[in-house]
Amino acid sequence: MPSEPRVPTEPTLEELSAFIDNELEAAEQARVAEHLAGCADCQARLDGLRQTAHAIRALPMETPSRTFTIPVERQRSWRWAPVAWVGSAAVAVLLIGVGLRALQMPAGSTTATGTTSRISGGLAYAPATQKGAAAPLAAPTGAMNDQQYSGQASSAAVNIVTAVDPANGWRMILSTDRASYPSNARMRVTIELQGSPSTSTNSRDQGLSLTLVRNGTGVALNPVGVMSYNGTPVFGGTYDLGGLRLADPRAGSYRLEATWVIPDGSGRVLQASVPIQLTGS
Amino acid sequence: MFPSKSVNDDRDLVGLARRGDREAFTQLIVQYQVPLYNMALRMVGRPDDAADIAQEAFLRAWEKIRTLRDAPFKSWLFQIAANLCYDHFRRGRRYGEMPDEETSNVIGLGIATPDPQERAEASERNRLVRESIEALDHDMRLAIVLRDVNGLTYEEIATVLRVPLGTVKSRIARARAQVQERLQQHPDFFLREDAHAE
Repeated sequence: MPSEPRVPTEPTLEELSAFIDNELEAAEQARVAEHLAGCADCQARLDGLRQTAHAIRALPMETPSRTFTIPVERQRSWRWAPVAWVGSAAVAVLLIGVGLRALQMPAGSTTATGTTSRISGGLAYAPATQKGAAAPLAAPTGAMNDQQYSGQASSAAVNIVTAVDPANGWRMILSTDRASYPSNARMRVTIELQGSPSTSTNSRDQGLSLTLVRNGTGVALNPVGVMSYNGTPVFGGTYDLGGLRLADPRAGSYRLEATWVIPDGSGRVLQASVPIQLTGS
Repeated sequence: MFPSKSVNDDRDLVGLARRGDREAFTQLIVQYQVPLYNMALRMVGRPDDAADIAQEAFLRAWEKIRTLRDAPFKSWLFQIAANLCYDHFRRGRRYGEMPDEETSNVIGLGIATPDPQERAEASERNRLVRESIEALDHDMRLAIVLRDVNGLTYEEIATVLRVPLGTVKSRIARARAQVQERLQQHPDFFLREDAHAE
């Protein structure tokens, strides 16, 4: 049975695939689009490739179970510290320092968003001098006492999830102040590591990482150690969503994923994630 | 996930790193560790091997960064990692094995969409996709991983692979077609994909 007559310019497999990625020249892109408008068979081929690409892009972005370092023996002949993450820790300390200092200034000297809890202080703005867009603008301060922290945890978090180690009840609690943000807003994140064998508030010591993920790709965020609350390390930060290197369109459905490689030498991992919706600015 | 606007930032950081600024190189590590690790993971399968490759890629990048002139850091870094993946395959280590989620070291998951059926279906979808990628030959696998996992442009992929743009187009297209063919062996896969997308 003869096949139906086709438009002469039927696109090849390569053209259909590149069409999905907008990787054709403008004239080719227009020609393929024109053909697709009148050819159900090619539209079906395109849909199949598109669904396949979508399925691959939907694979979850994994977080490495260890950090990457430059050991001493691989140092260059000049300046280098044994652990690359020392620099990140320095940035984090700097940010906390800036935040604390800003809190001591008159209210008008910061861009504090204010809080409804008993946290002493608000969200201070730190100048964006660091290159890494994924560093928080500021961390919740360490100036709060136990009761104040409890107040913050219950009143500020609206998007919260807990991962539990069934062996010993250790918990990682991940929360954000909202579940939906304008794509240029600030997102406040808090992570509690209940039962951690370490009281360190250094994320590297704790094996803690944080990633904002969509369609299988993600941006790593630096969780800043805030305080040790009754032996529970608490991390957090306020992240400028507009400064993150997110693919266009920025609006869409994301997941904020926290991974805790429990620092007891067992290699066990707790993971938690919450949905984050970014809307138009 | 790292569009071209990051190029200027990278260039500044690379310039500083070339002069020995460890903080600048640390920023590059922080920026690229997740995408680079995931590229390696989708290529070689095992998390430990992927972490080894990412670690070695950063080490080599640090050692050689003074040789990097005008080339984009991202393509250069992924090229180093791609070469390490090919070295890994040549050594015949655990060729193409993809880990089952059940065998990973994740012992607890906190998911804010706690529907167990939804999680089980997502896990099954991901397993099928991983196995379909695993079945590709190395060249096609690398091309589709760089495109659909890491979001590199065709031009960036051509730089990483050191092949013409036409070869990139061809590898990505053939890889997608082969993955699609394998996924279609599971009759309800794309039906679930449709439902998932809605």
